[in-house]
Amino acid sequence: MIRDIVVNVAVPFVGTVAYVVLFNVPRKYYLSCGITGTVAWLVYRGMSMVGSAAVASFFAALAAVFLSRMLTVRMRCPITIFLLAGIIPLVPGAGIYYTSYYLVTDQLFLAADTGMDALKVAFAIVLGIAFVVSIPREVFQRHYWHGRKRRKRLKDVSEI
Amino acid sequence: MEIHQITENKKDYMDILLLADPQEDMIERYLDEGEMFVLSENGDVLTVCVVLLMKNGNCELKNIATAEEYQRRGFGRYMVRYICEHYSKMCSFMYVGTGNSRQTLDFYRSCGFVNSHIVADFFVDNYREPIYEDGIQLIDMIYLKKQLDLSIDVKKVVDLALEAGKTILKNGGEIFRVEETIKHICGRFHVDDVETFILSHAIFVSAENEAGETYTRVMHLPLSSPHLGIVAEVNNLSREISAGHVGIEEASERLKEIEKIPPKRGYFQVLAAGLGSGAFAFLLGSTAPESIVAFFIGCILYVWVLAAKRASLSKIVVNIVGGAIITSLAVLATRAPGLSFLRLEGMIIGAIMPLISGVAFVNAIREIADSDFLSGTVRMIDALLGFAYIAIGVGVTLAGYHNIIGGVGV
Repeated sequence: MIRDIVVNVAVPFVGTVAYVVLFNVPRKYYLSCGITGTVAWLVYRGMSMVGSAAVASFFAALAAVFLSRMLTVRMRCPITIFLLAGIIPLVPGAGIYYTSYYLVTDQLFLAADTGMDALKVAFAIVLGIAFVVSIPREVFQRHYWHGRKRRKRLKDVSEI
Repeated sequence: MEIHQITENKKDYMDILLLADPQEDMIERYLDEGEMFVLSENGDVLTVCVVLLMKNGNCELKNIATAEEYQRRGFGRYMVRYICEHYSKMCSFMYVGTGNSRQTLDFYRSCGFVNSHIVADFFVDNYREPIYEDGIQLIDMIYLKKQLDLSIDVKKVVDLALEAGKTILKNGGEIFRVEETIKHICGRFHVDDVETFILSHAIFVSAENEAGETYTRVMHLPLSSPHLGIVAEVNNLSREISAGHVGIEEASERLKEIEKIPPKRGYFQVLAAGLGSGAFAFLLGSTAPESIVAFFIGCILYVWVLAAKRASLSKIVVNIVGGAIITSLAVLATRAPGLSFLRLEGMIIGAIMPLISGVAFVNAIREIADSDFLSGTVRMIDALLGFAYIAIGVGVTLAGYHNIIGGVGV
């Protein structure tokens, strides 16, 4: 149990932060980057119990991008920083390895299979990001929701 | 923080005006005719100033004062910059008269004013009581002036905007952000007629001034490694410029500073690469010993990456040789005495993570989602080829290993 928590929370956190360091992300964003990566990984793990790797990657990407957009508004910085962190645990690194391994060992059928799977995962990530990116920017700003409540209240009052 | 012009009840601000000019009837001489501006924040009045338009097409800053509790925080300077811009459309010079006080003179000089002329005995003749500042009695009025039409120049603005855009694009920002930044900076300095066309490797900006003259710049950018810290800093600077806190000169200075931000220290990056490799290896199902080996392989790999970057080798070489290094080290590890329980894939999967060009991939997706297919496909091909090069490096080494050693079950 405790081992599971460590494996699925601490390890992706450390891995994500280490990875964003390579892109010179400023120190103040390490925590939020780590959280984004961890959330993406947790969603991926949860969803891969019920669906294929591509489906799981899609939902994980959705969650990661959603979180990234909220964080950018809150922290006033480019979204790329958090997107990078959210996507990296999902990138099919293993797929790349197995594809090239099967290719060189002449198992072409398996190579095509794993290569296709890796592509599907990459495409699922693309879809996930494209989905959330197309939501208008205002939705992620706090005053939108406050304004919405007020508008709704006003509407209620005027209806009475 | 905002500035508005006051047209009624100007006397309400007398308390603050008296800080700069101690005699009320002297203030009343220009208060009605002068144009008054107030800088306020959340309803608190911070700085007040009065400017008088003169008949010869110039203007004079008659009074500027900041409430005592807000002094020495740059509000006065902000106000001076604002009114200089405001009057640059109608006046060619702004004058300001002040006593012989070093502090005040230095303030105006730092705002771009230069000496103009002196009115002798002004303070003795016009004020009932002698005025002392810093222990010196003020006698003569010293006039300074500033040429205003120099303050906005389309070329300067476009150059600044282009420089900011270039810095963002070069360091891994998305095209949408470059466009926004250029538009914001130009808009802030009243260059409204701007067209931009931005590709993954080039920026085209064209702006028109009021006389209908067009100024166009084209800039080609070579590929370089992403530095998201710089992108974030330029983004902040652009916000500050839009909000009006930073002038054009200061902005260029700060942009130069930002570009000099160094990447993280080498040993720190090497350690991070190792840590990333180990963590992702473990995450993707490797055993603890394999992850530890992946840590060391990741470290060694990144020493190569950094060395290659310094020699500015192309991505093809970096990734293919990188893949080869990872695979050879992993093979060596399995052949080491007593370590035959290690699986090749367990180490390699983790260790290739630092080679993956995440920023290119993420940006490619962003561009495609924004329907910018031209840059999107270019960047996507860049990212996918990056993956392919790694695969080639790994594959070729594995093939060589299988041929020479005769293939040991993996």
